[in-house]
Amino acid sequence: MTRIFRNYWTRRIAGSIAVLLMVLVLNFFLFRIMPGDPVSTIIDPHFSPQAKMHLRSQFGLDLPLYRQFYLYVKSLVTFNFGHSFLSQKPVWEELKTRIPNTVFLLGTAFLLSAALGTWLGVKAAHKRGGVLEKVVLVAGSISFSFPSFFVQLVLLLVFGWAIPIFPIRGSLSVPPPEGIMALWDFLWHMTLPISSLVLLGFGSWAIYVRNLMIKTLSEDYILLARAKGLPENKVLWGHAFRASLPPIVTMFLLALPGILSGAVITETVFSLHGVGKFLLDSILGHDYPAAGAAFYLLAIITIICNLAADFAYGLVDPRIRLGRKME
Amino acid sequence: MKRLLRRFSFWLLIGFILAGIWGPSLFDMNAETQVASPFSKPLWIGKDSPPAMTFTLTPKTRAAQFQWVYPAPPNIAIWGTVELNKPSSASLVWETPDGDRIEIARNEDLPSFNVDIDGRDMSFKTSLGLSPFDNPMEKLFPSKGKYTLRMSPDDLDIRSGAIHVRIEGARWGLLGTDQRGRDVFHLFLLGIRVSLLVGICATILATLLGVSVGLVAGYAGGMVDTILMRLVDILLAIPGLPILMVLAGIWGKGLWQLIVILSIFSWMGTARTIRSLTLSLRESAFVEGLRALGARPSYIMYRHLLPESLPILLANIALGVPSAILAEAGLSFLGLSDPRIISWGRMLNEAHGFGAFTTGAWWLILPPGVGISLICLVFLDLGRTLEEMADPRLRGGGKR
Repeated sequence: MTRIFRNYWTRRIAGSIAVLLMVLVLNFFLFRIMPGDPVSTIIDPHFSPQAKMHLRSQFGLDLPLYRQFYLYVKSLVTFNFGHSFLSQKPVWEELKTRIPNTVFLLGTAFLLSAALGTWLGVKAAHKRGGVLEKVVLVAGSISFSFPSFFVQLVLLLVFGWAIPIFPIRGSLSVPPPEGIMALWDFLWHMTLPISSLVLLGFGSWAIYVRNLMIKTLSEDYILLARAKGLPENKVLWGHAFRASLPPIVTMFLLALPGILSGAVITETVFSLHGVGKFLLDSILGHDYPAAGAAFYLLAIITIICNLAADFAYGLVDPRIRLGRKME
Repeated sequence: MKRLLRRFSFWLLIGFILAGIWGPSLFDMNAETQVASPFSKPLWIGKDSPPAMTFTLTPKTRAAQFQWVYPAPPNIAIWGTVELNKPSSASLVWETPDGDRIEIARNEDLPSFNVDIDGRDMSFKTSLGLSPFDNPMEKLFPSKGKYTLRMSPDDLDIRSGAIHVRIEGARWGLLGTDQRGRDVFHLFLLGIRVSLLVGICATILATLLGVSVGLVAGYAGGMVDTILMRLVDILLAIPGLPILMVLAGIWGKGLWQLIVILSIFSWMGTARTIRSLTLSLRESAFVEGLRALGARPSYIMYRHLLPESLPILLANIALGVPSAILAEAGLSFLGLSDPRIISWGRMLNEAHGFGAFTTGAWWLILPPGVGISLICLVFLDLGRTLEEMADPRLRGGGKR
């Protein structure tokens, strides 16, 4: 046992599988401890006992629990999530149309805020006590203590009502325009959500990068690089930033799952067509197959990101590749 | 302690707590009652829009006079019963500055005179001779000047009772009203309670859980440690808000359920901190001495290791409160809280759901949002101060 866990990769992959199992078990039992079984939400009390039994066997609820669990795992692995109670359509069909929207929203916002935050963090660390450092500190406390929906509601109030230049809801106009205009329309609708996420996100990045850079900039080799007469830009980006890159890359991947929570809130505030809003609507509408599938999808993304972060850290840090990282 | 007393945030927190405890009792009505028309502005802006006004006709006064210099109000409500000594005809007469006399209620030879009028009622509109689509307020408030509402005839033989009048203005109180005409300032004060209660209780519960796990894992070591820390890893890897949403949606929306759900998913950080602290303390000389003296592990843990980690724990609690408050606000904002419990997140949820944007009702959005942010900033600042008190090396504001 300990022999296996010595190896970093084996340990990490085993950990991910453990998390996946935990999520599967949680997902399986959570939706079974709720009041009534899934069938009771769709059948009429006037149904005959035979009809009830028939429905229960149709849903596989008369099978022993371990057998139900096996079928459940099999259906999740094959992405066959069953039918939504609300829309009666296959859940996967519903999710499929939403995934690109969510990926675009989160991906763009995340890349922009990471890039902006990193740049600001490096600059702030370079010039301590400057205006940029103050900006970084203020933006940081905003992202730590302001609820995201509040900032987004204020943005909506300002740019949707006071100066109505952006739409206040939806991913597309109704009816949607044709051809290339549809793309513009989509981007126009996404401007406010994306910029709100960037506004909320870049502060924590900037503070993280700033603290890393302050430490790196006080190293002796930076002094040496300066003494050699290298241009300041080269010292800053070529030496100091390059040396701080591994933790930044790791942080990049570790922060990815965290923004999934942002998807739920942002898509709700701006009424966007996405996975987060789908999860919320399913939970509020007691649509258990849909809620379970959306939760499962978000959990899978989280697990993959965590694993990728570990791999990336291993790739950029030789000490881990050699398997010497304990605790 | 002196350091703490010098912080502005400490006094702000005291203010919040006092306002949360005593603030709502300053109001003589329930927070759910409608006090003015929906989406009324705060009293201190828009001086030319009509304010809310209430008055009462009693057996003694019988008439009420008031000066009206605003446009017509959104609505008027008149209700009450007057007992008469003998059955007789009575009516309620509305006199405008132009000299018009409008009879708005009438009683035909009954022993009591009962009035129940709402300006939006169809029957009221027809009794004024208006179509259902007309606005009766424009007929009742045609111009600026002195208005009189009186019971008629003047020699009406009244035994007891009163008639209440409420002119529902478009301005109310410190922070206006929401979509149901409730006082936003009152709701705001009630929201303090929920935020503080959930934030502090959930964090204390989570800290208790985290400390127990951390102490046991750190002191016992070996297999116990491995299992507990794997559990921490697993819980940390589950996406936070989605699992909270699922749990809140399935398990229930009450305040205590919310507190338990929040604490189940926020003890992991504390457990890690306490574990590493215990690991370093376990090997220290004084613990070894205690062991040599024959002290049991539980004694060492609770009488020596726990007090040793208390300052860091306090800071941890203060720093954990904001995330609990934000999580609670987030869940309420998403509509996953009990709709009967008034909280800041719920207020924002209703503002978002009931069209604060189409009316531009900023007073529904700014107060709860600023409240959440301010309370979180207060706890962050207190947490940092406590951290510095526990570890003086942190002093000096980041210029290490």
